[in-house]
Amino acid sequence: MSLASDTAQALTRPAPATAAAGLRDTLHAEWTKLRTAPGTAGLLVAAVALTVAVSAAAAVATRCPAAGCGQDPAKVSLTGVYLGQVVVAVVAVLAISGEYSSGMIRTTLAAMPRRTTVLAAKAVLITGLTLAAGILAIAGSLLAGRLILPGHGFTAAHGFAPLSLADGPVLRAAAGSVLYLALIALLSLGIATAVRDSAVAIGLVLGLLYLFPIVAAVVSDSHVQRHLQQIAPMTAGLDIQATTGLRSLPLSPWAGLGVLAAWAAAALLAGGLVLRLRDA
Amino acid sequence: MTTTTAAPDRAATRTERGSFTDLLHAEWTKFRTVRGWVIGMVVAALVTLLIGLLSAVGSHTSCNGGPCHFLYPVGPGGEAVTDSFYFVHRPLAGNGSITTRVTSLTGLLPTASNGRVHAGQGPQSGMHPGLEPWSKAGLIIKESTRQGSAYAAMMVTGGHGVRMQYDYTQDVPGLPGAVTAASPRWLRLTRTGDTVTGYDSADGRHWTLVGTATLPGLSSTVQAGLFSTSPAYNVTTAQGLLGLSGTGGPTLATGVLDHVSLLGGQPASGWSGTLIGGGPSAASPVQGGGYHQAGGRFTVTGSGDITPDTPGGAGPGQTLDHTLVGAFAGLIAVVVVGTMFITAEYRRDLIRTTFAASPRRGRVLAAKAIVIGSVTFAATLAAAVVAVPLSSRLLRDNGNYLYPVNTLTEVRMVAGTAAMLAVAAVLALAIGALVRRSAIAVTVVIVAIVLPYLISVTNLLPAGADQWLMRLAPAAAFSIQQTIPNYPQAGNVCSVAGGCYPLAPWTGFAVLCAWAAAALGLAVFLVRRRDA
Amino acid sequence: MLGPLPYNQRMDTAIEVSGLHKRFGRTPALDGMTFAVPPGQVTGFVGPNGAGKSTTMRVILGLDAPDKGTALVGGRPYPSLRQPLRQVGSLLDAGALQPSRSARNHLLWLAHSQGLNAGRVDEVIGRAGLEGVARRRAGGFSLGMRQRLGIAAALLGDPPVLMFDEPFNGMDPEGIVWMRGFLRSLAAEGRAVLVSSHLMSELQDTASHLVVVGRGRVIADTSVADLLAAASGDRVFLRTADAARAVTVLERAGATVAATGPGTLTITGLAAGRVAALLGEHAVPLSEISEHRATLEEAYMRLTQDAVEYRAEPAGSLEEAAAQAGTGEARR
Repeated sequence: MSLASDTAQALTRPAPATAAAGLRDTLHAEWTKLRTAPGTAGLLVAAVALTVAVSAAAAVATRCPAAGCGQDPAKVSLTGVYLGQVVVAVVAVLAISGEYSSGMIRTTLAAMPRRTTVLAAKAVLITGLTLAAGILAIAGSLLAGRLILPGHGFTAAHGFAPLSLADGPVLRAAAGSVLYLALIALLSLGIATAVRDSAVAIGLVLGLLYLFPIVAAVVSDSHVQRHLQQIAPMTAGLDIQATTGLRSLPLSPWAGLGVLAAWAAAALLAGGLVLRLRDA
Repeated sequence: MTTTTAAPDRAATRTERGSFTDLLHAEWTKFRTVRGWVIGMVVAALVTLLIGLLSAVGSHTSCNGGPCHFLYPVGPGGEAVTDSFYFVHRPLAGNGSITTRVTSLTGLLPTASNGRVHAGQGPQSGMHPGLEPWSKAGLIIKESTRQGSAYAAMMVTGGHGVRMQYDYTQDVPGLPGAVTAASPRWLRLTRTGDTVTGYDSADGRHWTLVGTATLPGLSSTVQAGLFSTSPAYNVTTAQGLLGLSGTGGPTLATGVLDHVSLLGGQPASGWSGTLIGGGPSAASPVQGGGYHQAGGRFTVTGSGDITPDTPGGAGPGQTLDHTLVGAFAGLIAVVVVGTMFITAEYRRDLIRTTFAASPRRGRVLAAKAIVIGSVTFAATLAAAVVAVPLSSRLLRDNGNYLYPVNTLTEVRMVAGTAAMLAVAAVLALAIGALVRRSAIAVTVVIVAIVLPYLISVTNLLPAGADQWLMRLAPAAAFSIQQTIPNYPQAGNVCSVAGGCYPLAPWTGFAVLCAWAAAALGLAVFLVRRRDA
Repeated sequence: MLGPLPYNQRMDTAIEVSGLHKRFGRTPALDGMTFAVPPGQVTGFVGPNGAGKSTTMRVILGLDAPDKGTALVGGRPYPSLRQPLRQVGSLLDAGALQPSRSARNHLLWLAHSQGLNAGRVDEVIGRAGLEGVARRRAGGFSLGMRQRLGIAAALLGDPPVLMFDEPFNGMDPEGIVWMRGFLRSLAAEGRAVLVSSHLMSELQDTASHLVVVGRGRVIADTSVADLLAAASGDRVFLRTADAARAVTVLERAGATVAATGPGTLTITGLAAGRVAALLGEHAVPLSEISEHRATLEEAYMRLTQDAVEYRAEPAGSLEEAAAQAGTGEARR
């Protein structure tokens, strides 16, 4: 009987952690998971490398032969985001669907039954990692643009100052691109949580990103075209990169990023609901 | 089954030979018994259809708030054409020939600054001297003054030397170099029955044959004479995700022609000037024109063009491949299914059972490729066959002009799209076998096929860079959807947004096939070497 | 269904499952599953494949939501536990890990989720006997090694309640012996241990209490001793030189006697001691007397045969079946 009451004491001992400490433990566990998953670091390095490489290639390929060539040097130097975002999406998708494919999600949810907290912890960590990788990628891209573009006609004579973060619109484009990558990661995490399978999740993410601009390109009605560009997560989100011709954008830069944020929030909400309601 | 009565040794050989059929049967059973994959294929077919329909629903064209009445002439080959020029003509009955000397070709271009064209009040104010490369003047023999009627012409051009052009699509180079008073160009057209032959000469004595045009069913009496025309000026001022934004305006060309001689049956009649096309509903802006005769010297001024009307031009038309824009969504779905068809086996270690049952791993992959390719082809072909007529109808009902396409091209586009998706599914299968991680395989394949197209269609990279992407990347296969050939003489940039691809349809498709074959070969090699 | 339990009773109940119903599509997986697991002993959770054992365990862990009914651990629903691995350790699916992660890193993230440090990880690695392989990819482990890794994970939080789903799967004979001793030692430490198995023989000499299930509900909830006694049915085996007199004596005492061979009898209705005393009184010679002991396997087979009969009954007799389940509980 003494053994039994020991057990009973152990059972009824007060929960050792407050809600905040619970989140902290969950964060710690998820961080260990991400850190020790073999793909994460490699994929993040790939995201940075691909972004910088494509940005540099775009800068090399672009020329501004005369004043009024209509090019946006900040945008050109940030072209790599088109490819970098894909790798970021893969990182985010694998962070959750990898657990479903191996069945480890049951271990995870047995250890941390507060499912929303688990998703929140994953979201926080993925955001942090993407922001860090994004800062490196964007800084590298801008540096490449700053070094390459003046040699391709983006000179003071043609009305272009060297790219500099001291320039308000350039800073906005750069910071916005970093945020863009983080939001793409959250969107992907939400979708992957909702559909579980990594192939389906990444297919949906890429479809969501790529299909809107392609459909917009063939629609002849300019109003429909503009609306499509306003609601498309990629097109609207990348408005943040524009530093010239802001008036012709379908949405103002920050409003565009807001559209992407709304998509990400909706995806996370859907993912959270499915995670809570469905059996693991 | 007849084999039940076969002799044992025959049955054995049948088993040996039939084992690949059995493998196919096994893989087909595997495919159809996973509900998710069947649903995935159905989704691929549905999105291919529905996105095409939705985009057609979203494509309204209206003219001044009302429905448009497109008066695009159609050429002898059934293609839409631009047929606008100033024509100084006389009837020609039966066989005969016409000769002239061109001493000058000059023109006027709209004045642009900061990317905006300053439109002037009068027809020629706000313009400055200059020529478009395809501004032209010369001789023409034409069935009638009706737009779209058959013709053959010899001409000097602003930047392409002497050309012989006929029936809109044909273009043959003659003497190079620009025409000046010091180096004039002699041109001659000779009609014999249905055949019109073009000659050029630098001195009027030594003639060179440039080309021979056959104009089937040419009337016995045709209109022969002098013409001048000049295509609209277009300039691209910005590019990016929103597509090209450009500006432009009509241009004028003026040719000076003398030593005009018309030999052959001539009903009594003098020269008369007619402005062909150029009405308000014309595809390209036109400035009008006129002619002036002083002695034997004709000064002919015209605006417009005589070419096939192609999507890159000024017209608001849609190409038929827009009805298959849903293929992009279908592509993503089939790539997901194709990848899972192999990665699911790796994830669940089913691959060991598979290889235990069929130890010849290369044949297993081949069987899988055939099954996924065939299923994809069948599903997406059904979708495309429905999507094209439905979406075309919707587009036309919404007031859009669809460039006419002949049946053979339409069949190639529809079947080619399904074949492209089938090969994409095989590529996905191969990449899936290579990397064994579905997320990465799906991403690689979709990015390789869709991203180059997206970059091209949204003009993200400067022209040239994206053209190379569309030649080398698996995305090249979208050329199978090109319905309107690119005519250099139409003066349009070949852009993916305009439905024009740098590679010919089947060549582009072959690029994707090469990628798929290489990936599948590498996958077979690796799968054989690797532990299952 | 049971209402709030008095405080002392709640202390005696580590896991309490009441009235669980769950369907997967049209197939009922749980159909009124009700039982309790007390601390300080190994409770066997047995039944044929598909009886609902794993589903019940997933519901207890909050992984699956029941359509009806509750599952409490230490009186609380599992999802409300702040650091659940300190209350319940479990091994459901030994393969439920990311194959590319090392065993130690797998335990490390689990430890971090409960606010435990790496030192605790090394302790459980030692206890599960994984020292040599802890830094290898868990994906390369044999099933037996994965089971040990799962057990290490279950022990991380030093929990008073442990649940193992088919822990003997994939173990070699040596491993099975180790596992039996290990389960007993956990119970001896005062922990509640719930072990599922579809082979009763695995639980022999390990479990002291059994919950036998079939088709999603409890067929028997009983101690191993009671189950064996019921299955043995007081049969006594006797070898004697004077079978005829033995039959007369024993039948007079009210027993049923059957001759099973020359000089061998099987007696029902009298305990072995009473048979020996009677024969002694009447000076009947006896060369051997023994009580027939049913194996756990036999007892289990009888029970699950009954379960088959329940299944065959039309749906109208559900209440009857529920009443029988209730009787079983009352008897306990």
